[in-house]
Amino acid sequence: MLKINNLFANVDNGNKQIIHDLSLHIPAGEVHAVMGPNGAGKSTLSYVLTGKPGYEVTAGDVLLSGESLLDLSPEERASKGMFLSFQYPIEIPGVPTMTFLKTALNAQRRANGLDEMGAPEFLKKSRALAADLKIKPEMLKRPLNVGFSGGEKKRMEIFQMMMLEPDFILMDETDSGLDVDALRIVAEGVNKLREPKRGILIITHYQRLLDYIVPDKVHVLSDGRIAASGDAEFAKKLEAEGYDAYA
Amino acid sequence: MMPTHNINLFPTRRDENWKYSDLRSSLNQISKGIESINEPFFTLPDGLTTEEVGCECASLKNISSVLAENYCHKAWKIDVPESFESDQPLVISNLNCGHSQIIININKGGRLSLVEYHESQSNSFINTNIIINIMDKGELDRIIFHDDTHETVRISSAIINSESDTRITQNAISFGGALSRIETIITANGENLNATINGAYLLSESRHCDMTSNIDLLKPNCYIRQLVKGVVKDKSNGVFQGKFHVHRPAQFTDAEMRHDALMLSDTSKIRSKPELEIYADDVACAHGNTIGQLDEDVLFYLRQRSIPLSEAEAMLTEAFVSDVFYSLKDNHLKENILTKIRGRL
Repeated sequence: MLKINNLFANVDNGNKQIIHDLSLHIPAGEVHAVMGPNGAGKSTLSYVLTGKPGYEVTAGDVLLSGESLLDLSPEERASKGMFLSFQYPIEIPGVPTMTFLKTALNAQRRANGLDEMGAPEFLKKSRALAADLKIKPEMLKRPLNVGFSGGEKKRMEIFQMMMLEPDFILMDETDSGLDVDALRIVAEGVNKLREPKRGILIITHYQRLLDYIVPDKVHVLSDGRIAASGDAEFAKKLEAEGYDAYA
Repeated sequence: MMPTHNINLFPTRRDENWKYSDLRSSLNQISKGIESINEPFFTLPDGLTTEEVGCECASLKNISSVLAENYCHKAWKIDVPESFESDQPLVISNLNCGHSQIIININKGGRLSLVEYHESQSNSFINTNIIINIMDKGELDRIIFHDDTHETVRISSAIINSESDTRITQNAISFGGALSRIETIITANGENLNATINGAYLLSESRHCDMTSNIDLLKPNCYIRQLVKGVVKDKSNGVFQGKFHVHRPAQFTDAEMRHDALMLSDTSKIRSKPELEIYADDVACAHGNTIGQLDEDVLFYLRQRSIPLSEAEAMLTEAFVSDVFYSLKDNHLKENILTKIRGRL
């Protein structure tokens, strides 16, 4: 599914080398978690994988289903199935949530040679999924994320994820800012998306989210590379002992 | 070819009011309209008629008035009767070549909705001089479309005089031209004017648009809100000049002026001159002026959701501009404006 081979990446015009020789393989159908201390390069990894301008790959490769992503624009990577649930979802005044989502969905469908989804089908699908996530219909009419609480923004990310049905999901600190109830709703949403053809990478500080979304593998990211790997129990050990042993 | 018109009538950049819009030089490329009269088309609501009268010079300081008086042997006058009300707008169109003067008198308690289409398909010069007198309790809703070729040179100037307890809302949208200027000159001769003066310009290629306004407040208790937003790309030029002149008797004025511009290229230009001249001592007056670019983080967010860069830019630009027209009550006209905006993104 997603293969990261000996990746080196920097930001800030090459002034900061953040990812050093990072290799990781997430097969289809598996959920992996990357944990690590502040500054280990976790958010950088998510931006490098999705092609954010300003993040430069100097060596190595990233393959999604055998195809290299590195020469593709962010929108091309997204259309090929890479989805990033943002740590800090962006507020976009003046763009109603539904308009944004319909534009995104149809852009993705066009890029994949599919017909655009008509308004009735779109409305039906979005209303059903919004209800699952306890998102009120009036929220969908408001400008995207404007005035939403932290929890509402994260739920909106999961909602978009469920609407766009990506092949590969990257979740960057999805649990931050969530209370216990919101965490459960978000986790249920993600668990519904666990399928044999889909890969999921969860980036997180804390083990808490992994109680709800149990990963197949857990990796420690330290100083820009994978320092250790283990199973779901390994996350509990990390939570108890800290990351010092891997620095 | 030597021009036949009196070139001295046209201002140069040495004229402070035309410093950023070089009208005289822009005429070099113009083939027609500099000396001719323009016959506008009027679509009148039931109960209104037009009458041809002599042309007058409303103000020697106003170039548009001076030119109209010089080149027009007649003007079109419309009297809006006392307490007039109609759900049909007065529509003025065919403003496509030459000079014209239109005089509108809104009598006591009359309400007029005015829609102006300033559209030309050629490298013409157009000067439209509109004088609007609003008597006590009169109301004016004005929508202005400027949609020209990149070769057109256009001035449209409105001189609006208001008496007491009047209301004005104005919404202008311009796509510029070789040189294009929307001038709004308001004089509140009476108390309690409530005016909303909004505008937006979207410019590409080497187009130029100038939105200039001057609001003179002579009496107390006036409330003014002005919001102008601009988007410039390629080598286009945007100009905003706004002035609130609060005279000594105009106590309790509450006036705000904003101009926000988005620069989408390194080669475009914005020039902005907000001015407040205040002689009354118990007033609230403010102005704000910003120039910026689209937020990279927002663009990346949209692209991460499969939306191509050009579409993401168009979406954010539309969102930036369209809130100028948010308060427009006529949904049909609002949609008409937004459709024109989308067509240019």
